[in-house]
Amino acid sequence: MSYTDVEFTYEAGGYADHATPLVRNCWYVAGFSSEISRDIISRRILGVDVALYRTLGGEPVAVRNRCPHRSFPLAKGRLEGDVLVCGYHGMQFDPSGRCVNMPSMPIVPANANVRSFPVAERGPIVWIWMGNPDLADESKIPDTHWLSDPAWKSVCGTFPMNSDYVAMHENLLDQTHFPFLHPGTVGTLEYARSKLKVRREGDVVVIDRSLKDSPPPGIYGIPTNLMHKKVDRLSEARFASPAIHTAFAQIIDHDPAPGRPSVYRFNITHLITPESNGRIHYWWFNSRNFDLDNAETDKFLYEASTKAYLEDVDALESILNVVQTDVEPQFDLNFAPDKPGLMMRKVLYQLAAAESGYQTP
Amino acid sequence: MAAHNLDVVVAGIRQLTPRIREYLLRSTDGTPLPPYEPGAHIELHTHSATSGPIVRHYSLIGGLGNWDDTPDTYRIAVQREDRQRGSAHIHDTFTVGTRLSVSRPKNHFPLDRRDTKSLLIAGGIGITPILSMLRSLVRRNRNFEMVYAGRSAEDMAYRQDIQRLGGTHVRLHISGPDNAKVLDLRTLLAAQPEGTQVYVCGPAPMIEAVLAAAAELGWDPLRIRHELFTSGPGADDVAFDVELRSSGRRVRVGRGVSILDALTAAGVHVLSDCRRGECGLCPLDVVETDGEIVHRDRYLDDEERASGKTLCICVSRTTGTRLVLDA
Repeated sequence: MSYTDVEFTYEAGGYADHATPLVRNCWYVAGFSSEISRDIISRRILGVDVALYRTLGGEPVAVRNRCPHRSFPLAKGRLEGDVLVCGYHGMQFDPSGRCVNMPSMPIVPANANVRSFPVAERGPIVWIWMGNPDLADESKIPDTHWLSDPAWKSVCGTFPMNSDYVAMHENLLDQTHFPFLHPGTVGTLEYARSKLKVRREGDVVVIDRSLKDSPPPGIYGIPTNLMHKKVDRLSEARFASPAIHTAFAQIIDHDPAPGRPSVYRFNITHLITPESNGRIHYWWFNSRNFDLDNAETDKFLYEASTKAYLEDVDALESILNVVQTDVEPQFDLNFAPDKPGLMMRKVLYQLAAAESGYQTP
Repeated sequence: MAAHNLDVVVAGIRQLTPRIREYLLRSTDGTPLPPYEPGAHIELHTHSATSGPIVRHYSLIGGLGNWDDTPDTYRIAVQREDRQRGSAHIHDTFTVGTRLSVSRPKNHFPLDRRDTKSLLIAGGIGITPILSMLRSLVRRNRNFEMVYAGRSAEDMAYRQDIQRLGGTHVRLHISGPDNAKVLDLRTLLAAQPEGTQVYVCGPAPMIEAVLAAAAELGWDPLRIRHELFTSGPGADDVAFDVELRSSGRRVRVGRGVSILDALTAAGVHVLSDCRRGECGLCPLDVVETDGEIVHRDRYLDDEERASGKTLCICVSRTTGTRLVLDA
């Protein structure tokens, strides 16, 4: 079921690109928990403008940010208790979206409902389901338990980007760009050349990579204070759903200094919510299981991550600009390291096709 | 304002009970139809050679068991009412391949997905929106209870599907051929935990009884949601002529059609929106009529109704043969 009218003709064996309809039956991030409060905010998600707020009891609520009467953005209204009051004619809606009062009418019209969306809060994230609400199974919310586990410490940030989620996921699964786009922080040339193992598990794509006895990249070597050493590096990159990519890294120091661990773990959480085809919301968390109280480490990881992700933003925005404005068609070349990205694009294509009513393998 | 209607074709017919048939309506070109949620309905537009245009409202059932209908299909169930020509016309003339026009889905009866407990009450053909809610509650593993009332088991559409889906959460209430065994709504409501939200669809007396029982128990009236289908014709409705004073035009209003739909079909376009007697856009001034005005709206106040000078043309009519409107 699609709420947007994107033309889509399924071709067997196809790959998603920037023009493929967005997958709707998926839990996406609506925002950081801290962004959603008694002050109503609006955010466009999968093309639909959504108003987000909390009830007096603290429950997050998501309703369409458009009064059913004259399309006034409901986020420009106000809250009276748990009731959202439109700022134009004072129509009132309860958290389920039902109209409970229309001041200018003698009755409450039964047809005056605003669509509400299933939401669920998990740690620092509020998730939203924009697709068929009957399929909104909370057990399918991606696991991010490390974000609220006291054994971990996270720094986080968010950017809007003029890109698409296909390119963003492909970028996250593509580890060969690290030493070139992010020199000095994320990647090394040895890492780019190391062989990877990729597998598809249902609609999930997982890359395992290991690089033994090699200097760590700055983003891991500096906070662990291992830049002078050769370490083993194990990593798993996971396209877990259209909404989330996780990267788990272990840096193993076989000869740890006194009082230091031999295994350092980093869990990177990338959260992607399409605003539309061509614009995405992006949230990231960099979590670690060591030096939890070290403010210097927080500062370094925040700044290094921000720098690297801004490099991604710049690259992906440049790519989409070329793809959308250059008139001469191009079919991009693919090489062996692109296999994980192509597998992911196949998954996204099949999910989109199934939602458009096509039978897919 | 109403968007354009959708072109559909009857793709399947199934006899559910002696009086109820299920119809599968498919988009004529196989493209997905607009999506909808439990409680939604469509207006079905058809034309009878004897009564003229007919508009009926039918809830969308959504699928069977845990299976959703494909996006190109709407599933409805139509009960034949002997004294109403709309449903009889559908039963008598619709065959596989019949082309129809339906409105985009509208939902005046939405299910609140956050209910701590939902109590579904269905009477007779009122089962159709309740079944779509039951499917949603079961699939989402929510806390619910359901009572489905009918005069006899064989008259109750989808009875077995519902028992299979809802298991022990569903109770059938057989009231008997004279409706003698009344459903004890007060006891049913009194046993509910705080926060139970009630959804009721059925004959008007059943909905009134649920509202009355809730009022007796001191419930917040917002805890009862109901679907009335007020625009459905009454058993005693008659055909009449409408005359428009400004143009002198005369339009026949058949038994099975509203004044609004008859005017629209005749090319007379007047203001309207909700088509259920609530929005207050369609009332026209009455110049004269040779019968009583039957008011079926929720918009006009008692004084306006008693005056006999106005009516909501989407749901209300006259018992006479002629109605002159100031339009």
